[in-house]
Amino acid sequence: MSETKVKHADEIFKSFKMQSVSEFFKKNAAMLGYTGKLRSLTTLVHEGVTNSLDACEEARIFPDISVHISEIGQERYKIIMEDNASGIPLDYITHVFGKMLAGSKAHRNIQSRGQQGIGVSGAVMYSQVTTGKSSEVVTSTGGKAINKVNVKINVEKNAGEIVSRETLKNPGKWRGTRINLEAKNLQYNRSKYGPYSYLKMTAIANPHTRITFIEPDGTKILFDRNVRQIPKHPKEMKPHPHGTSADDILSMIKNSSATRVRTFLVSEFTRVSSKKVEEIEQISGLDLDINPKKVDWEYAEKLVNAIKQITFMAPPTEGLIPIGADSVKLGLEGILSPEFVHTVTRTPQVYHGGIAFIVEVGLAYGGNAGNNGVDIIRYANRTPLIFDQGGCCVTEAVKSIDWKRYGVKDDKAPLTIFVNIVSTHIPYTSAGKQAIATEEEIYTEIRFALMEVGRSLSRYLSGKRRAHEKLTKKKTLLRYVAETSNAIASLVNLEDSSKIAKVLTDIVEKKYDFEEATNGEEEITPVSEENGMEEVSENEE
Amino acid sequence: MKNKPSQNVPSILGKFGEEIYEQIMKEESPSIKIPQRGKSNVYFDDNEKVIQLGDKYSKRHFLNVAHTKKFMQTLLVASYCRRLVEENKHAGIRELYYALKHTVEGSKENTFDDQIESNPIIEDLETALDILREELNLTADRRGYIYGDIVIRDDEDEFNASKLGRGGWAVPGTVEEIDFLDLNAKYILVIETAAMCDRLIEEKFAKTNDALLVACQGQAPRGVRRLINRLHTEKKLPVYVFTDGDPYGWYIYSTIKQGSMNLAYLSRRLGVPDAKFIGMTMDDIEEYDLQKVTEKLKDMDKKRINEIMDYEWFKRKEWQDQMKKCLKLGVRIEQQALANKSLEFVAKEYLPEKIENEIFLP
Repeated sequence: MSETKVKHADEIFKSFKMQSVSEFFKKNAAMLGYTGKLRSLTTLVHEGVTNSLDACEEARIFPDISVHISEIGQERYKIIMEDNASGIPLDYITHVFGKMLAGSKAHRNIQSRGQQGIGVSGAVMYSQVTTGKSSEVVTSTGGKAINKVNVKINVEKNAGEIVSRETLKNPGKWRGTRINLEAKNLQYNRSKYGPYSYLKMTAIANPHTRITFIEPDGTKILFDRNVRQIPKHPKEMKPHPHGTSADDILSMIKNSSATRVRTFLVSEFTRVSSKKVEEIEQISGLDLDINPKKVDWEYAEKLVNAIKQITFMAPPTEGLIPIGADSVKLGLEGILSPEFVHTVTRTPQVYHGGIAFIVEVGLAYGGNAGNNGVDIIRYANRTPLIFDQGGCCVTEAVKSIDWKRYGVKDDKAPLTIFVNIVSTHIPYTSAGKQAIATEEEIYTEIRFALMEVGRSLSRYLSGKRRAHEKLTKKKTLLRYVAETSNAIASLVNLEDSSKIAKVLTDIVEKKYDFEEATNGEEEITPVSEENGMEEVSENEE
Repeated sequence: MKNKPSQNVPSILGKFGEEIYEQIMKEESPSIKIPQRGKSNVYFDDNEKVIQLGDKYSKRHFLNVAHTKKFMQTLLVASYCRRLVEENKHAGIRELYYALKHTVEGSKENTFDDQIESNPIIEDLETALDILREELNLTADRRGYIYGDIVIRDDEDEFNASKLGRGGWAVPGTVEEIDFLDLNAKYILVIETAAMCDRLIEEKFAKTNDALLVACQGQAPRGVRRLINRLHTEKKLPVYVFTDGDPYGWYIYSTIKQGSMNLAYLSRRLGVPDAKFIGMTMDDIEEYDLQKVTEKLKDMDKKRINEIMDYEWFKRKEWQDQMKKCLKLGVRIEQQALANKSLEFVAKEYLPEKIENEIFLP
């Protein structure tokens, strides 16, 4: 043996592995949302809040979430987030807070709030990478004990590890979870990319939630609950035949146990009845009784072409849970106190790949609804999209609308446009998942929704303008009453002009009351765009 | 003739107020009827030979936002004038503006922002009530003077207008109350420019020719026009008008003779349909060999000629010929161009010759 000791492979791979997990985290920081000091802080908050919202929704609890950010050093912050969800049993703490990429929804055809699939453990990881510290988790299911645990991620095993543990008494029957973590390379401010804006947007889209937020300077903000109804929990859905590609069919066949193409179609797709299969058979001329495993590219393509010629029912909506026009309205009203709100939840549509989606649009005007032109707030499955606004389908759609047509004369009009895209698969432009790709169907659908709220705004504004004009006129007239009455009195040698003034005022009041009664019903011709094509629907049968 | 000196102005104004008061008390929409004064509502009265106001009216409604302020202004002016007349005070139209200008109760707006607003209101009242501004005890800026052997009483002063020096007597804005006590003149010569009038005074023209000289100094102000009108109607003096030979001079003549469009409602009190035009004419240029002292017409002048050629009261052949000739020659001629002959020429030859031989334009 020479002096040089040969290293065992395990040893090599041990460090390699260690390196790779933290390398992985660093390299993919952008994809995971940890890029930039401000964005990293927003992402930390996002992971915690999303986790809490999901937990509450599952447990059917009205979320009561608090977020407390404090600055403890140079670019170093402490973040405490607490919820009132069901709490986490001791054995599962490491699973929730310690395992990266533990997401279970990532590969399923289901609407999900979480975007990254690494969840709150990403926050623990970020804290660990930047400070070397563990994160403190305090949780109770409402029983006798509160568990106070410090967790770390064991990068070797990609698993959570309990560093220290303490059991506290729980006389107040407190239930919920609180995470307390420290991290570096962060920055706090109130820009639209920061936690404040994120929480405000979250509150709008989750009006059943109460969020208490304490900023580093001690300012306490309450985004209160505006709806007494917990959203339904989404269900997994089968794809819709429309827009399905040959490639999709081939990969679906791999995971299917069907023995005939006919049964494959009926069982793997939604809205495909045996009657519809007969239609496909007729149009395609294919033998649908062959084993799906024998389907080749050419066969699949013929299938797709036939499917395209057939009308199917719109995809079922059970899997998609929109916020609902009423709730969006209450959310916008509660948080922005606007002067006018109109919201619309469109009927489900399908985009490429047979994926159902719903567009929800809300328009808030006046009040705190922005003060420097159109403020676009974007959501995917009610999760705020904060970054990459410029490259987003939603932004493009909003900008394609000529708001002047809807009576918005001022470029700086206080206008907030809320857009939520609900789908099992949101077509993001990139792994960063902050912008939605411009799928034509989605783009068009957003536009239709925007026009709908635009027309409503137009009616409101013209009514307001009329009322305003009327009021101005009346005020003008009333302004001259006293002078005119005095002059008349003096002209006819009357000492007192008050009687003249009173009758003259009555005459003015009467004229405008009368006009109100007659003109009140007047309808303004709605602005029509695209020849009223907004009533596009797949419904049949 | 509406020349009734003792109209009961306070009662007319009072009645005007009563009507509006009644409307209000009946809860009707109060309105004021005012004859229109634009070009669209004037016509040339062929019988009376003056420009007259047509019968188009407009109504000023308090309840019409576009009218409200003017409605208030009209009443302010009316009530102010009633006080003036009752207290036997006179006010200049600018004084009236300042007297009535104040902030409208409970607003930041002024009753009047400029005299441009109050002036037309006065004219509105004159037309609507058929009362002269002078009768409302309102006076305008004075301009113009008279020189000649006439004894005038103005309030407590009595004087002979030929004994006031070379400046003559400045004609006030209101001449309703002056009396003519003694008169030694055969006609009135109205002169456009003060410079020419001064020349004639220096040449003793008034004395030599038994003339009253009136300098109007541009477009004749109301005081001067009313004075000429009174002397003409009360003292039966013929009126001759002497202006520059250009569209502006001719229009000065036209205003003295048949009134103006703007004050068409006053034509019968201000106009002198019998007035004659003495010069300058286009024919004078040739007659007196003045070609060398003409001025070239500017585009603006030509435009103005074409404009007045279209007025009904310039449709007489003599005038049409003048203007055609003017355009053809492309020149205008000033009164003072006559000095080219000699300083005395106008007084010694030009005017006496024309008057004696009655070389006038109608």
